[in-house]
Amino acid sequence: MRLLRYFLFRLLQMFPIALFIVVINFALIHLAPGDVSILLAGEGADPEYMQSIRESYGLDRPLHEQLGAYLGQILQGDLGLSFRTREPVIDIIAERIPATLLLAGTALVLASIAGVAIGAVMARRPGSALDTAVTTLSISLFSIPVFWLGLMLILLFAVTLRWLPSSGMVSIAGPREGLGFVLDVVRHMILPVTALAAVWLGQYVRLSRASVSETLAEPYVTTARAIGFPERRVMTRFALRNAMLPIVTVLGLELGLLLSGAVLTETVFSWPGLGRLIYEAILSRDTPVIMGAFLIMSFTVMLAALLTDLLYAALDPRVRL
Amino acid sequence: MTLRTPTLLAALMALPTLAMAETTLVMPQQDEPRTLSPGPSSDTGGHGPTSNIYSHLVVMDWGIVDGVAAYGDLAESWEVSDDATTYTFKLHPDAMWHDGEPVTSEDVKFTYERIMEEGYTFSSFLRDVESIETPDDQTVVITLNKPNMAFLPMMAQGAQWTGKIYPEHLWADQEGFDTGPYVNEPIGSGPFKFVRWDRGSAVVLEANEDYFRGAPEVDTLIFRTIPDANVARAEFEAGQFPYLPFNYAPPLAEAPMFEADPEINVVYTPSHFSRDLQLNLNHEALGNPKVREAIAYAMDREEMNRLAFNNSWTPGYYAGVSSLQQWINEDARFPEHDAAKAEELLDEAGFPRGDDGWRFSVKVTGPNISDCTAITEILVRQLREVGIEAELDRFDQSTWFSRIQEKQFDISCYFGRYGPDPDAYREHFSTDGARNFMSYSDAELDELAAEANTISDEETRREMYDRIQEIVVRDMPYINVFEEQKMSLVRPGWDGFAVMPAGFNKSISWFGVYGVTGPDDAE
Repeated sequence: MRLLRYFLFRLLQMFPIALFIVVINFALIHLAPGDVSILLAGEGADPEYMQSIRESYGLDRPLHEQLGAYLGQILQGDLGLSFRTREPVIDIIAERIPATLLLAGTALVLASIAGVAIGAVMARRPGSALDTAVTTLSISLFSIPVFWLGLMLILLFAVTLRWLPSSGMVSIAGPREGLGFVLDVVRHMILPVTALAAVWLGQYVRLSRASVSETLAEPYVTTARAIGFPERRVMTRFALRNAMLPIVTVLGLELGLLLSGAVLTETVFSWPGLGRLIYEAILSRDTPVIMGAFLIMSFTVMLAALLTDLLYAALDPRVRL
Repeated sequence: MTLRTPTLLAALMALPTLAMAETTLVMPQQDEPRTLSPGPSSDTGGHGPTSNIYSHLVVMDWGIVDGVAAYGDLAESWEVSDDATTYTFKLHPDAMWHDGEPVTSEDVKFTYERIMEEGYTFSSFLRDVESIETPDDQTVVITLNKPNMAFLPMMAQGAQWTGKIYPEHLWADQEGFDTGPYVNEPIGSGPFKFVRWDRGSAVVLEANEDYFRGAPEVDTLIFRTIPDANVARAEFEAGQFPYLPFNYAPPLAEAPMFEADPEINVVYTPSHFSRDLQLNLNHEALGNPKVREAIAYAMDREEMNRLAFNNSWTPGYYAGVSSLQQWINEDARFPEHDAAKAEELLDEAGFPRGDDGWRFSVKVTGPNISDCTAITEILVRQLREVGIEAELDRFDQSTWFSRIQEKQFDISCYFGRYGPDPDAYREHFSTDGARNFMSYSDAELDELAAEANTISDEETRREMYDRIQEIVVRDMPYINVFEEQKMSLVRPGWDGFAVMPAGFNKSISWFGVYGVTGPDDAE
């Protein structure tokens, strides 16, 4: 009951925060020079045509009026029409979300599971040669820009070895359904998922190593060992469970970034996801799409934060919500 | 069931990319189309697909550098009245829409009238049109309210982007060219038919077997969106597509490497554009003609050419480009590099070096294209050598464009245009010219440019444009730097892309692939 009340309270809290985010984003976008009329008018840029575009999109009205109109619209659940394509923003975004979730979700699951496992193993042999090597490698992975790693993977596996496709999500003339389609997508996923997961992996290895080795030094672990619990039990039952808290925090934060964390990866690999949509929308000042995407992203971040808090309660009975 | 990793990987990698028995051409492009309706506005991602789906009345392609400023697409022939105000076009009798209906003069009239009513971008090319008449299904008569020598070439150029002909029978009940079912499922009359648009990935077209000029050689045409230039280049090298268009092309300094590779043909295409510097005359120092002259002396085109372009560009010393040689006035020439002379002029102009060695400061900017980036980087250093405290100021394309329109710049690299008709001088240098970002104004030039556009006698016209070039080089509101040269990469065996001589005057627009032929042994 108490938990449910807390949950609802937090859910309600999201709306004022979202409103705040919308206003900030709106202001930021309008602080940037240039508007969509310049891009739509293009070569020649007839001033009258630009003016007519500004009028038809309401860009000639004062900023507070534009903001008011936009807020009124989203309160009715309408994210508006894209300036560039005149299609509903909600449809455009919805179309791109599965591709992003597939890419970023797979990478996150792989990176977190592998990272936690590797980190935990390393924590038991601190200072060993293997530990030093893994730590160095994970710091390197963590510091490599993902677009660079992506390009290198493309060069090696797509250009030199020609094992894997370099970009896109499906082969253009490939199958559209059935097992063939699934395999085709998997083939296209390997490189971008590797690039994205590698960068995240380093972070989880470091985090889990630090966290596990810290808990291993706790008195209750020493006690458990003294009692004579088998080492395996000590590791899973006592150390790992307690070490999970900081890991869950980071995982939760990253879960919120699922939709937006792959912008560079999607651009390098021409992945038809939300990140690339945002990239294109920003370059062309497609305000409704940018705002819509930010709004949805901020809700995922807030939801992820809420889920993290709930998980905390489950993992650590001392946490009272 | 246990699947060993190597087995799984092998299975994944063995999946064929689907072998095809016909010629398939994949064209990479940087931007995703906004829509597949070309009329309302320019759309860098849409030009490729729509230029191959739709037809134009008249059009041009890179054949412009061989002197063909306009050729007929739907128009089989045309006549111009002696006073250059009445244009009578005869349409190709066999032209058909992809749904089987014939293309008629009514479609042309309908399209142009709607473009003018809605004020779409192309309407600026039609601003002198008084009436459009259709005496019969194959004849379009366009009457202008005053002679305009640039009408046909400019219409042919504008048609590349936004001046394509729409089928009246499908669009008449829509309010504009941006609503309704055919916006993203276009029915045109061009060499290719629309098949599918996979958002974020590709637009797929197939050959139109009933095309009035005969079916194209390419059977399946795919425009793939690849935003990252490095990736596009890697894929080209991996053999994913046979053509890497110039807008992806790597820095010209790497050209020798490609030329040495037998698996790559390097194609150079001159153009009717230049790279030049626009000087904002509102700037305290740049408003002084002596300072502008000094900048012209301070600039070393040869050094830029060596450092940035592997000596493959042609320095521009005239107020024109050699692909439009017939209009160049060779007596009006920008000065060559002479740093001492530049310093002398700056002293005379009242900008001596201060205690810190600087005379005044300027910000140098430019569009986000690689050659302008290289030019401005070197220019900054050359200006600093003569005591001008120059700094680079970089923006994304849209910000740069809005800043130069609002005249918030000092010096900007720019892509000046000298054709398809010399009326381009009016656009660049007349007081109210659409491309005059410099705030330049000269009464004599305004008058000459307005008049020259109405004169059909070529000799008289040339004399007027000669004088305009003299004025421009005298006042130097801009300084020509280079003639643009495009570098594209093509796989051996492929020919007829718009940038190649074999594609000149039959590509049907800069974006057209109608002239493309694949390797003979293509499966």
